[in-house]
Amino acid sequence: MEEKKKFPKSRLGWLWENMEGKRFLFVIALIGTAAYNILQLVVPHYSGKIIDLFNRVEREGLSLKDNADTLYKLIGLMVGLTLIRVIIVYADCMAYERVSQATLFRIRNFLYDKIQRQDMKFYSTYRTGDLMTRVTGDLDAVRHNIAWVIRSIVEALTLFTSAAIYFFYIDVKLALCILPISPVIFFIVFHFRKNVGPKHAALRERLAGMNTDAQENISGNRVVKAFAREDYEIARFDKSNREFRDTNINTQLVWLKYFPFVETICNALPVILLLVGGMFIINNKITMGDYVAFSFLIWAIANPMRMMGNIMNEFQRFTAASNKVMEIYYSEAEIVDHPDAIAHPERFKGRVEFDHVSFKYDDGKLPVLKDISFVAEPGETVAIIGETGCGKSSLIQMIPRFYEANSGTVSVDGVNVQDYKLVDLRKNIGLATQDVLLYSDTIEGNIAYGASVLTAEEVEKYAKYSAASDFIHRMPEGYDTIVGERGVGLSGGQKQRISLARALAIKPSILILDDTTSAVDMETEKQIQHSLRNLDFPCTKIIIAQRISTTKFADKILVLKDGCIIESGNHKELVAAGGYYSELVKLQLGESLVTA
Amino acid sequence: MAKKNTYKQDERLEEPFDIRHLLLASSYIKKYIGKMAFALLISALGGGIALLAPILTQKALDDAIPNSNAKYLFLLGGLLVAVFIVSTILTTLRSHMMIRVSQNIIYDIRKDLFAHLQKLPFQYYDDRPHGKILIRVVNYVNSVSDMLSNGLINVVLEMINLIFIVAFMLYVDVQMSLVVMCGVPVLAVFMFWIKNRQRRAWQRVSNKNSNLNAYLQENIVGARITQIFAREDENAEIFSGLADDCRHTWMHAVRCNNLVWPGIDAISVLIRAAIFLFGMMLFGQGSKTIGTIIAISSYSARFWQPIMNLGNIFNNFLNNMAYLERIFETLGEKVTVDNVEGATEMPPIKGAVSFRNVSFSYEAGKEVLHNVSFDVKPGMSVALVGPTGAGKSTIVNLLSRFYNVNSGEVLIDGQDISKVTLSSLRQQMGIMMQDSFIFSGTIRDNILYGKLDATDEEIRKAAKLVCADSFISGMPDGYLTEVKERGSLLSQGQKQLISFARTLLSDPAILILDEATSSIDVQTEKALQQGLNSMLKGRTSFIIAHRLSTIRSCDLIMYVNDGGITEAGTHDELMAKKGDYYKLYTSQLEDIA
Repeated sequence: MEEKKKFPKSRLGWLWENMEGKRFLFVIALIGTAAYNILQLVVPHYSGKIIDLFNRVEREGLSLKDNADTLYKLIGLMVGLTLIRVIIVYADCMAYERVSQATLFRIRNFLYDKIQRQDMKFYSTYRTGDLMTRVTGDLDAVRHNIAWVIRSIVEALTLFTSAAIYFFYIDVKLALCILPISPVIFFIVFHFRKNVGPKHAALRERLAGMNTDAQENISGNRVVKAFAREDYEIARFDKSNREFRDTNINTQLVWLKYFPFVETICNALPVILLLVGGMFIINNKITMGDYVAFSFLIWAIANPMRMMGNIMNEFQRFTAASNKVMEIYYSEAEIVDHPDAIAHPERFKGRVEFDHVSFKYDDGKLPVLKDISFVAEPGETVAIIGETGCGKSSLIQMIPRFYEANSGTVSVDGVNVQDYKLVDLRKNIGLATQDVLLYSDTIEGNIAYGASVLTAEEVEKYAKYSAASDFIHRMPEGYDTIVGERGVGLSGGQKQRISLARALAIKPSILILDDTTSAVDMETEKQIQHSLRNLDFPCTKIIIAQRISTTKFADKILVLKDGCIIESGNHKELVAAGGYYSELVKLQLGESLVTA
Repeated sequence: MAKKNTYKQDERLEEPFDIRHLLLASSYIKKYIGKMAFALLISALGGGIALLAPILTQKALDDAIPNSNAKYLFLLGGLLVAVFIVSTILTTLRSHMMIRVSQNIIYDIRKDLFAHLQKLPFQYYDDRPHGKILIRVVNYVNSVSDMLSNGLINVVLEMINLIFIVAFMLYVDVQMSLVVMCGVPVLAVFMFWIKNRQRRAWQRVSNKNSNLNAYLQENIVGARITQIFAREDENAEIFSGLADDCRHTWMHAVRCNNLVWPGIDAISVLIRAAIFLFGMMLFGQGSKTIGTIIAISSYSARFWQPIMNLGNIFNNFLNNMAYLERIFETLGEKVTVDNVEGATEMPPIKGAVSFRNVSFSYEAGKEVLHNVSFDVKPGMSVALVGPTGAGKSTIVNLLSRFYNVNSGEVLIDGQDISKVTLSSLRQQMGIMMQDSFIFSGTIRDNILYGKLDATDEEIRKAAKLVCADSFISGMPDGYLTEVKERGSLLSQGQKQLISFARTLLSDPAILILDEATSSIDVQTEKALQQGLNSMLKGRTSFIIAHRLSTIRSCDLIMYVNDGGITEAGTHDELMAKKGDYYKLYTSQLEDIA
């Protein structure tokens, strides 16, 4: 079982806070609920009177004509009050919808924004399917709580209280004989709550689990097919599907255990009324008319008691869901703007400096980077090369502050990156990652992702820079071609080139390429290298590469091994030095050629 | 070919109501029809018994109390308790059964939907945002559970109820009954009017929710891209727009939805008033006694109650149909790449591969491959080179039949692969794709995916072969290290090595490496190559790579360009030919030297 989390606000306080702008409407809606429920008690009173009148007319042989006025008045009251009630009911329903939708809208936007501004630690803790459940299913439970649960509580309380007051008004003794049984309901429902609460929390986890499994399966559908693992996947999903079903059944069965008791207590009310009331009549303590009045309204005592179970059930669902929502709502990213961060709207010059930087992951024992120091002057190209997993990607991700140094400083234009506002810092950095992620949008939309005010010509220009314009033109719809999620339908090299164009399009003062041309053929890469050397804006380039053809033209090459810089210098120097780099050059030229 | 869908775009609305959907729905109910009939019976019985309660009460009021017969009163009270107990037991029993039935129905639908999704080809996943697929499997299926189980039973119960009440009413007085029922046509017209409107309205709600889900999923996965480009504000605005669409369509839909209940309530009270007035006019003209008026007026209340309930069920039905339609639409999605009738098992593959005049296009009218033919002997290593987007990946994708060819044949060991079962074919192929997908779970789980019953030694051996053992062993929990979703804690090169190990573990007869090593550094790749060579002996392999060191040693090099193979031969042959390959090779050497 998960531990109880403390939030700055209580659940209902949190709801109230998020009802901002609709609080008045909400209070009106609550009053409306009370009003139409009282009317619901009043209307039968008039139709009863009409029937009484008819009865009297027959019994006492009166003329209907003489009583016509009274009758018309009663019918008029019955119809009029009902129509008023009906109108209130409708307006009230819509008011609840309005309030709950407005609250849902507000929380949802807030949640989304919270999620998208989190740091790496958050994304590796929460899985996509789970986060999606919070923004969809869990939030729906929150909405339902406003639109239905709270309203039902008001309804139950109104009915019960007004009926009880009426009972006492008619006859205190009989009322005292009937009503004391009702508090028992609270004990039952309280006990039920203790049992069903954890079930709802578990059910919610199962739902998120199923969402996560399905989400991953859909994302990984290519691998599933490549290994013909459909049956395995079906069996795996079947497990979460089955668990969800069973938990769902178990959760619902909890109430069924309590239901017979609650039902019995509710049913006991009319029986007690019949027996005690009957004896009261026999003993002339009350009149038949009093008895009828009681029996007319006994449902208004019993029904609210019946409703309590359902209300509690839904409230527990809300509790489980709101815990999950509030966890994100009140979460704080670790990497945020420092309070005294300076705004820096101007374009950076692009000087990047690492000063004795060391870094390790939170959960990692081994350091990823050790004592890294280097400088990239404005306009320079620095290439980083090294074995798989040597820390290259971690290094470059420290520049836009995706990771923070454990010791040492990373600075841009002489200012520690931690002292900039994140948005200013990142707006100046163009980063094309290894794992290319495109959006299901047009190619143009993807290229203009970071700089949404691009003209078609500009988009074309950046596509040309990244040697992508040729293949884009060959597509039937050119720049308007929609690429699927993650750019499916494009080859790896094509995706990389679009991602490069996307990074260039913001005219960054620091361009970081994380092995962005690995899947591009040699010829194309040559073109890209050429255009990178001839960009029409000043730009410092930090490039991770495997190919010597890429590193050759760099002003500075850093060779990384096990998180340390083991060699640095330009191509000529490093080849002459005869170290790791020169070995690499030989390797790539091909052994036969070298030995020949 | 349908255009690709995005989060900005609503999915197509189905115009006419598809009757096949109802048939499909009924097929899910069929399995539980016995249980449901029993539950219905219990409910009807419970309803019948509950009718005794007012009779007993009436007896007490008419007989026992006026006669001051306490004993009789208590006897009646006892009977009343018995009635309540029996009816409570029956209700509990019904709930017990129906909770299971309704959960089982959604379990069945979800299971079929998921299984069907596994069969759908790449194209299906390529054409729409994944969030839109996901919302169907999880959220939509949840919505329809009650309609297909309790909803159905309640409809029948309310109908029975209604029939009895009408019968009683007609028995009491035909004329007055007609007054009661005159509200029905009004209601029918009202229902008919909202039917189409509401169907549209709920379809719109489901569409907007689907769009929101699509955007949400893409942006959670792509959160890092958002941050790189500092686009948070703009995205929040887009999301807010989508959420606003959801809110508006919802408000539009409930505007009518919430009208049904109060509407019927209003009609029912007007009818009641009419009865009193009508009774007043006719009173004393013989047939209409006060008793009749009172009886009819109480029946009238009882008559409208089930109608109100039916109205609510109808409302839910319209709402849920919007979801059910989407689910069934997916279930009805054609499986374009499937086993043909009479498909046989692919015998153990020796490795001869031939393309015979193969043409292929992803989208009609735009051929990616045109009339491609080639032959590969068993055991050969084949390199595919050429510019990006030339069709190299397409060739290897066709080999595993991820897509169907437009014309021509793909043969393995002389067997047309379209005539064999997909799983028997794909299980013998090892494909490593450009995008090395890592599942969340341990590293071990990920490698194990290639061969589910592999031993730890086998896993280790595969990892060693691809030079991944050393970095995996260096991790805090070794092979049991949890890699998070998409392997977020691994570098791209490490992901490739793991997915490489996964592929090798599956011991494929034909190995396909599609840019499999692009992110792996050159030295690791060299070591990997040596391990691979021993393993590849006797196996056919296809390699798509840009690194010449990888390509040079292959038995056959095919230069792919403009939808066809323009050059083929060994490295030496192609170098002698001084064509495209020669140009490619020398240009790369120039770059390095």
